[in-house]
Amino acid sequence: MAIDVKGVLSPLSAIGTLFEHPKTITYPAVKKDIPLGYRGFHINNLETCIGCASCEEVCMNDAIDMVHPDIEYNIKNTSGCVPRIDYGRCCWCSLCTDVCPPDSLKLDNICTHADSNPDNFLYMPKNHKSIGEEVS
Amino acid sequence: MKNDLENTIKIFHGPQHPGITGNMSVELDLLGETIKRAQTHVGYLHRGFEKLVERRTVVQAFTIVCRICVPEPDPNEENFARAVENLTGLEISEKAKYIRTMVLEMQRLATMFLWMGGQAGSIGLGLIPQWSVCDRDYMLDLFEELTGGRVYHMYAFPGGVRRDLPEGFLSRLSDLLDYYEKRIIVYNNTFFDNIIFKKRAIGVGIVNADDVIKNAYVGQVMRGCGIKKDVRKDMPYLMYDKLDFDIPVQSDGDVYARALVRRDEMLQSIKILRQIIKQMPSEGDILQKIPKHRKFKLPADDTYVQTESARGAMSYYMAGDGSEKIRRMQVRGPSLVHAYTLLEKLLVDSQLSDVAMTMNSLGICPPEIER
Ligand code: SF4
Ligand code: SF4
Repeated sequence: MAIDVKGVLSPLSAIGTLFEHPKTITYPAVKKDIPLGYRGFHINNLETCIGCASCEEVCMNDAIDMVHPDIEYNIKNTSGCVPRIDYGRCCWCSLCTDVCPPDSLKLDNICTHADSNPDNFLYMPKNHKSIGEEVS
Repeated sequence: MKNDLENTIKIFHGPQHPGITGNMSVELDLLGETIKRAQTHVGYLHRGFEKLVERRTVVQAFTIVCRICVPEPDPNEENFARAVENLTGLEISEKAKYIRTMVLEMQRLATMFLWMGGQAGSIGLGLIPQWSVCDRDYMLDLFEELTGGRVYHMYAFPGGVRRDLPEGFLSRLSDLLDYYEKRIIVYNNTFFDNIIFKKRAIGVGIVNADDVIKNAYVGQVMRGCGIKKDVRKDMPYLMYDKLDFDIPVQSDGDVYARALVRRDEMLQSIKILRQIIKQMPSEGDILQKIPKHRKFKLPADDTYVQTESARGAMSYYMAGDGSEKIRRMQVRGPSLVHAYTLLEKLLVDSQLSDVAMTMNSLGICPPEIER
């Protein structure tokens, strides 16, 4: 029976990769760049949120509760409530941000959260004007 | 046969087993190392997608269909979007069609890399999965940029797509295709031409063309035994009739033939993507205006759509009843027939060590069985 010389020798070409640069990054010293459009945590510009609850209505996972914020941010917010997200239920589909009439609710590109307290997964979106720009 | 079965021992291959293609198990009756009977079991992952979509509005149901196949969500999104568009008469722009075709081909490449890892891992070639999963991740990086998600893209929407292409996206895709072309040569040397893979895969898991026709097997199982059929050519959708590509086939019908078909399909996907990059219109609506989600109603009608996924034809039947909810949605993917009718038959008289390899070559995805 003839020996398949190519079949024996060609896999050995993998040895060449020993001399290549590694493709992995040394996390956490080097962090991966996450693009701006990534669907991560919610942010909400509370000065423009009108408390209409469209976001709560469209969310098929019942992940949004409308709650009273500690202070009044927008006098045009007739219900006086803003959305709070349950990250035990959210699937980051972004439908809530699509339907938001004043476009105040958005998804940030920050997406890491670790906490031993389950209550902290009931998340109040940060008060941002837009992605990456925090309201002081 | 009766005597054989009396002396067998029973082994469950899965659901907790690295060689199983997801949450399912195969119950094997073994005589020594030889399989005398194989029985597929599912039920470890009941998600009931078809029933879930009946309780949601069209807009809400859209977020769930991508979960029907984790490694390959986009053909499901495409089918869902196209079925709703057929029912409501929504016309999508040429640009949206090109983007959706591009996403489907990007997904095909990503799925093939994941398959390659599973296929090589199933015979102990541990280096290939490390490489191919890394190469797939480069595609997921592009998906992350385009859609906002790595795995569940939730991007193709009835009426078009949800976002426009980011700045410079097509040139980054083109660079990745250059890289993939080089990588496929490397995989050819280390995996497809590898004598270990050939010795293990040639002559194992043979499917013949008559069985394919009788049982409606699809994808590489069908093309691996010489049947040149592909939904993209036979019932062209989106922009496939404007693109030049071939349907690779092999004639032996075994695990190795199916692997070669997949390799050649990767090259064809690269060819298609290069044409899309050239032809992509710069202008055009991304998403047609659609009614608000409580007002988005499906007429009392039904439709049937098909998309060629990386594992074979994926079909949806959808019926509306005049309300904002879907009356019925039926999903038909490659997994059910491949995991039951085909796998159970192929494994009889094969070796225990071949189970994972044969299963991997069939493109089985359990959530699609328990849809
Ligand atoms: S992203 Fe989706 S699941 Fe999450 S809160 Fe918004 S609508 Fe609900
Ligand atoms: S976030 Fe948007 S949709 Fe939700 S209550 Fe505020 S304004 Fe309405």
